[in-house]
Formats: sequence, structure tokens, C-alpha cells
Amino acid sequence: MVPVPDRDSARYWAALANGALELQHCRDCGHWTWPPRPVCSGCQGENLAWEPVKGTGKVYSWVVNHRAYAPEFAALVPYTIVLVRIDEQDDILIPGRLLSAVEVYQDLRVRAAPERLTDDIGDLNWVALLE
Amino acid sequence: MSETRSRFPRRQAAIVGIGCTEFSRDSGVSTFKLAARAVKAAVKDAGLRVRDIDGLATFGVNDSISPNVLAQALGIESMRYYVDQWLGGSVSLSVLGQASLAVSAGVAECVVCYRALNGRSEIRLSGSSSSRMRPPWDMQFRVSAGYIAPAQEIAMAARAHMLRYGTTSEDLGRIAVLSRHNALDNERAMMRQPMTMEDYLASPWIVEPFRMFDCCLETDGAVAVVVVSAERAKDLPHRPVLIQGAAWGGGVNIVNNGRTDLAESPAKLIADRLYSAAGVGPADIDFAELYDCFTYSVLSQIEGYGFCEPGGVPAMLAKGAFDRARGSLPINTHGGLLSEGYIHGMNHVFEAVQQIRGQAAHRQVARHDVALVTGQLGYVSGYSSGVILAGG
Repeated sequence: MVPVPDRDSARYWAALANGALELQHCRDCGHWTWPPRPVCSGCQGENLAWEPVKGTGKVYSWVVNHRAYAPEFAALVPYTIVLVRIDEQDDILIPGRLLSAVEVYQDLRVRAAPERLTDDIGDLNWVALLE
Repeated sequence: MSETRSRFPRRQAAIVGIGCTEFSRDSGVSTFKLAARAVKAAVKDAGLRVRDIDGLATFGVNDSISPNVLAQALGIESMRYYVDQWLGGSVSLSVLGQASLAVSAGVAECVVCYRALNGRSEIRLSGSSSSRMRPPWDMQFRVSAGYIAPAQEIAMAARAHMLRYGTTSEDLGRIAVLSRHNALDNERAMMRQPMTMEDYLASPWIVEPFRMFDCCLETDGAVAVVVVSAERAKDLPHRPVLIQGAAWGGGVNIVNNGRTDLAESPAKLIADRLYSAAGVGPADIDFAELYDCFTYSVLSQIEGYGFCEPGGVPAMLAKGAFDRARGSLPINTHGGLLSEGYIHGMNHVFEAVQQIRGQAAHRQVARHDVALVTGQLGYVSGYSSGVILAGG
């Protein structure tokens, strides 16, 4: 399913289309904000810059989805959705499908695997980092 | 930051009438007609007339009939107060809190709260099956992951709880079995056939760790309740059910900066505010109708509302603490959203009122003066709501 961007999120989806995970980084307080919003979630200021993050993190929780909640997902079931705590900041959890066929566990290391859906919109999924 | 104490007007408003339609998989009628039927039934139960109504309060996700349209159809000329709250189960009790404030302040004299939905035959809330439904703000960040249903989000929290506390499928199963047991002798309930733990464990995965029987029903139906001042309630036919306290609102959402400990109960935030508003604590609660969109929601609320320490629910379940007949805290005495029907939490209010009045027949609990009734515990929107009801 293709997300519908808004004025606060367009850059986020465009970066993913170009293969990068970029988040809003506050020039005043240094906080990262996700999901994209008009103000910093640390200091509520507007001095936000889009910057790439490393794109790595670890699995905090996961579910194995057996049901297609929308027709677009019918071909994917069953699929695993992971909630990833990114390395930059521990109060951000980003969901995505886990594309790797590995046994999932808490703290499994993963990296972002963006995929282009349209010229302006990318998808964010995760793959296991084998260390 | 410490919170200002609630100065909610305790025991100033009362529920004096309740009404509902049949709960079914296909009502065959519009949500407009369901709402009209439930409101008329509730007003009749209260010993009042439709033209006595001067306020209506409802909620939904663009899937139901609005108060202004309903009021005009019912011939209500003196509409002075209305709430048409967008959102789902997280605000199911906020409409009752709003109605209480309105009648306590004298802004309106007779406010009817209702929820009408064709949740099975027309607009199903379980996913993105309807373009008419207004999605939550953060939906764009969920769709690409296929992470769009409340079941998935709450299963994610259940997994986190399992990892920290060793909570098992069987623990969730006991909640499903308890709810079904309570529905068996409830004439309103959609699910009247017995369920065993084996049945629960054999039910198919929906989103692991949730099976089918961890998930609530989808229902067509409506419930309405009539709220007037406590003073006026004294002259009406039934034992008044006073709004001892109400709280609604939230803090920060789960999938953003702030609260990212999913094993912790999000209900604690609203629980503390509700107890403060009502001036009572967990030990004062005789029975509870807990918003049970999923089995885990019940478990998490028992912790969040302070009936045990985190991780303590399985031991209480094993001891029968929540059993309707003998438990210290009967819960979901009607079968809940899991087995009675999904009227988005308003059916919990209906049941609590019947219990407090002593009109619950075979389902009647022994101690029935003080009830906790809750809305969705704080997922999806990040907000929640709850009320404490007390017999007058």
C-alpha cells in the first residue's frame, strides 16, 4: 500500500524513494523526531533539518501477521512486522516488515531496507544484520 | 510535571435510562435507524419523553449518524448541547464524561449518549476496509509496513509483555474463556456457545501472539444511555446510577518520542486521573467492565487500574479472582466486546447500569454498588477514557 504524504512528511517519503532513511534532526536541541511532524518532539521548535540516520537498530517487539487487513497485503501473508528501536535515539520505534527469513527475537540487529514505490515515495522495511 | 487534581463534579449527574437494539451480524437497517431505536428505548426506560432530550453525545470514525441529523429526525427542538467526537473506543467513555459535565453545569438537562454502528455489515473497523472511515493521523507511517489494524498494534504490546513477564497464550486464553462463560446466559450476547481452553488454542492465528478468540466481535447494533442531574434522577423510576467520576484524555502516543515501553500498561495514566476525579481507589470497585477489544487489553488494564502489580494477572486468573459468581473483582459480566458484541464500549455502560440496578438476572453480581467502566486503554490514538459509576 502506498502511503499518502503530507506537507510535513513529503521529504521523508522522497528520501526513502532515493534509498535513504532521513529523519528530522533539531538544530537547537539535537533531538530526532519520528514520525515527521511540524515541530521538534524534544523542544517543540521548528528548527528541524532532514538528516540521514545510520539506518540500524534492534528489534523491540514483533508480530506475525496472518490476515490481510487490506487487499494489498493478501499476497504477503503471513508476514512479520518488527518494531525497531533505532540506534540514534532509544525513544523512537519504527515499524516495518522484516524481509529476512530468520528467527526473530528481541534485540535482533536490523538495518533499514528502503524500496522505491514511485518517484516521490519509498517504502521502509527491515532486514536482519548478520554479525 | 505534577498534575492538577481533577475537580470533576462527583455524583452530580446520573444515568437514568438505558436502551439498546439487537446485536447482530447484519442489522438490515441503517445506523440512523439503530440510533433512533436505541435512543427511544433509553428515554422510555428512563420514564421520559423524546422531547425531553436537549443534548446528544456520540462518537465514531465517520461511520455513524450525527447528533444534529438524529435530533432533527426525532423532532427534538431544544438541542442545547451536542458532542460528535471523532475516534473509536478510546473515547467511548469520554462522551459520558462530557454529558455529565453538561448536566452538572446546567448547560443541558437531559443528554443522551449513544453509539450506533453497522460494524459487521457496513463499515468494519478492523483494517482499512472502508474508504469512508477517517484514518488516524499516523496511518501513512503504517501502511507500507502492512501495520494498519489495532489488532497488530496491541499484539505488539502483548508480545512485549510476554517477553518481560512470561505471560502465556493460556493466560490470554483464560480471559477469552471467562468472557465467553459470562455471555452464555446473556440474552443480548452474540456468542452463546461454550468455549474451552482447547477451543481457544485451536482457533486460528490472526496476528501472533493473537488468535481469533483474542479478538473482539464485529457487530451491528446500538446502545444509548440517558444522563440527567442527580437531583432530577430522584424522581425517575430506576435506582439512579451516579457518575462518581470520569476522566478522558491522554499523554504521548506510543509510536513516537515519549512512551516506548510497550510492556507497561498505558491505562495507568487515565486510571490515576479517574481515581482522582472520583475520589475512590481500586479497593472500592465492586466490579469492572473493561474495554476488551483484545484479551490482552483486559490484562493490561487490570495492571494499569491498580488491581495487581505488573505481571500479577495470571496468578489472579488462576485463583478465579475475576469470576462473576465468586471472584473478588468480577469483570466483563456480560461477555464484553469479546463475546457479547462490539458496540464500541457503550454496551459496557449498559451492563454496568443493569448490574448496579440489580436487574442483571442470572448475571447479577453480589456486590454491585460501584463499577469501573473503561474505554480503550490508550493504543491507536494514544488516548483513553473511563468512568466510575455508583448506585444512588
